[in-house]
Amino acid sequence: MKRLLILIGKIIVKLLQLMHRNAGNLPGIILWHLSRQKAVSMFKVDCPIIAVTGTNGKTSVTNCIAQLFERSGKKIIINHEGNNLDTGICSMLLKYCDMSGKVKADMLILETDESHVPVVYSQLKLDTLVVLNFFRDQLDRNGEMETLIQKINGFCKTFEGNLILNGDDPNTARLGRANPNNKNVKYFHAEPYAFATKKIFEASEGRFCPFCGEALEYDYYQYSHIGKFICKKCGFGDYEPYITAKDIDLEKPVFTADGHTYSPKLNSIYNVYNMTAVAAAAKLYSIDQKITDGVINSYTVKNGRMENFMLSGNKATLNLAKNPVGANMTLRVMNEMQGEKELLFVLNDNIADGLDVSWIYDINFSIFERVTRVVTSGTRAYDIAVRIKTAGYDPAKIVVRPDLDKAVEELASTQGRKFIIANYTAVQPTRSALKRYIAKHGGNK
Amino acid sequence: MKTIKILHMYADMLDLYGDSGNMEVMSFRCKKRGIDCQIDKYSIDSEMPDFSSYDLIYIGGGADLEQQHISADLLKCRDGIVKAYKNGTFLFLICGGYQLMGKYYRDADGNDIKGLGLFDYFTVAPNSRRKRCIGNIVIETNITGKPVKVVGFENHGGQTQGVKTPFGKVLYGNGNCSKSEAEGYCEKNVIATYLHGPCLSKNPEISDYMIEYCINRGESEYIALEALDDTLEKECRQVMLDRLLKK
Repeated sequence: MKRLLILIGKIIVKLLQLMHRNAGNLPGIILWHLSRQKAVSMFKVDCPIIAVTGTNGKTSVTNCIAQLFERSGKKIIINHEGNNLDTGICSMLLKYCDMSGKVKADMLILETDESHVPVVYSQLKLDTLVVLNFFRDQLDRNGEMETLIQKINGFCKTFEGNLILNGDDPNTARLGRANPNNKNVKYFHAEPYAFATKKIFEASEGRFCPFCGEALEYDYYQYSHIGKFICKKCGFGDYEPYITAKDIDLEKPVFTADGHTYSPKLNSIYNVYNMTAVAAAAKLYSIDQKITDGVINSYTVKNGRMENFMLSGNKATLNLAKNPVGANMTLRVMNEMQGEKELLFVLNDNIADGLDVSWIYDINFSIFERVTRVVTSGTRAYDIAVRIKTAGYDPAKIVVRPDLDKAVEELASTQGRKFIIANYTAVQPTRSALKRYIAKHGGNK
Repeated sequence: MKTIKILHMYADMLDLYGDSGNMEVMSFRCKKRGIDCQIDKYSIDSEMPDFSSYDLIYIGGGADLEQQHISADLLKCRDGIVKAYKNGTFLFLICGGYQLMGKYYRDADGNDIKGLGLFDYFTVAPNSRRKRCIGNIVIETNITGKPVKVVGFENHGGQTQGVKTPFGKVLYGNGNCSKSEAEGYCEKNVIATYLHGPCLSKNPEISDYMIEYCINRGESEYIALEALDDTLEKECRQVMLDRLLKK
């Protein structure tokens, strides 16, 4: 039965490839149903598996950890770019396995959707789980965040492997304290950076101690609810960090972890946290320091993550924002930049985005500085326009263009610095629309 | 003209679905008309306010855990809120705020969270966490005196029963219970609803109904509101109505 299912799966993958279709999810979905949701357990994986999960930063951290091993000469398998649901992981394993289901590699590095961690790793033995953060994201798909954390916590109860946790996110750090029997819990932590605040700046979760209900006290907030916290009543938050990022200077940018100085390409506090998680994995697997330096210092993202374009001689930076934290990040970067600029915001409400767009009211648009015009687009172009208007921005300076090509044309019709924020299913179509515009009208003047 | 006084309760804890945006809309629409609007906040550690001195009390929705945290505190405020409500203070309640004004909220494990009992309805959470009412919703309400279609987003496990005067009729979505015909609860000075979105963002008639109520509360001469340019808001709602109601 197992061999037959694998054969069927492989045929579907081949057929899709012959049709020049990306065999991302479909083979997995079919197999999932045929095997009554036991599809992942058909594969035989002998090598260690590292999984990366959390709301923001999964792709970056997964790619960097994969590079650590790749540059160490290991044969690795990684689910590049998404495909992080059970069915996507299943499709990917189908491509790499032999007819008996055996997957040959030295290491599997798998970005895994938060809600699919228990499903996948109850069927595949996991060596290390890296948990980056939990923010409000797609509440309609995932339900309440508490439900999601409980799900992963349920998995952690029987998990004896390494647990690398963001010690500065109470929603993440609680997984360590709730599972005292796991002796392999390791926290990463960061000392305050220049823009850390005493008071909370953006909407957030996890204000109360999950163990005793007391309000958590913070020494500082880095962004959202990420920061140094402690429960004065039961001591939650009092842990020994495995690795600490210090001397963070985002202007250069530079930071130190475990006595090593890193000069990453990306200058955001979020990136410092991501790279500290990578450094923690490197430490755990005793990766050669030169390799770790190389990976952390060279990592840069494209694909709509702070990606730059030239639109008729004007620099345009596109950034993906799936949730308020992501959007607030881009607004901060915009604000910290001198001079006038224009913003294009593309908002979709497809199933993968979450049908609920109320999260845009958790974006702090009142901090807009020197923004001379806003163009909005996407299936919810009007919603984002109304939201920005309500924040006090002059509606006469807002242009709504639900059609993406028209929106890009509108944005490019004036001179000056541009920023573009697009949510999950909007980001690739936005990149394509930008490229179409550039092909037609040119990038550089 | 007098200053409209609003008390936003538990803003730091009951704000899961951008519900604080409702306060942004209220203050935005007042400001456009030159009406002074003062929004005070009350939370667990605050001093007990004089509830009756407010024209409107607003409570948003939160996760189960947060709702449990505030319920004991809310009970301490009971007398003040009841008095204010009887004095004509407007109560604007979303999701958790709506549920907690009823008799009780029975969670998935069968435990009761005591409500304020201001109104007769009660809420029961289904045994399975999967059974939630989630999605876009359109209702039609008559609270302003003429039918208004209100668009929002619902995401609630709790099934609210025993509502005699709902906020509106469900045209699309679930409402008070899974696949019910009625949504929310209302009186002249109460709007309680499951609509997030936030509710007021593309339903300007509802915000204006409350502003008009507040501005005229306790005044002898009736003041009508001047109209605002709501082109964007109305277009925004129309896009959703076209998508959801037209097959």
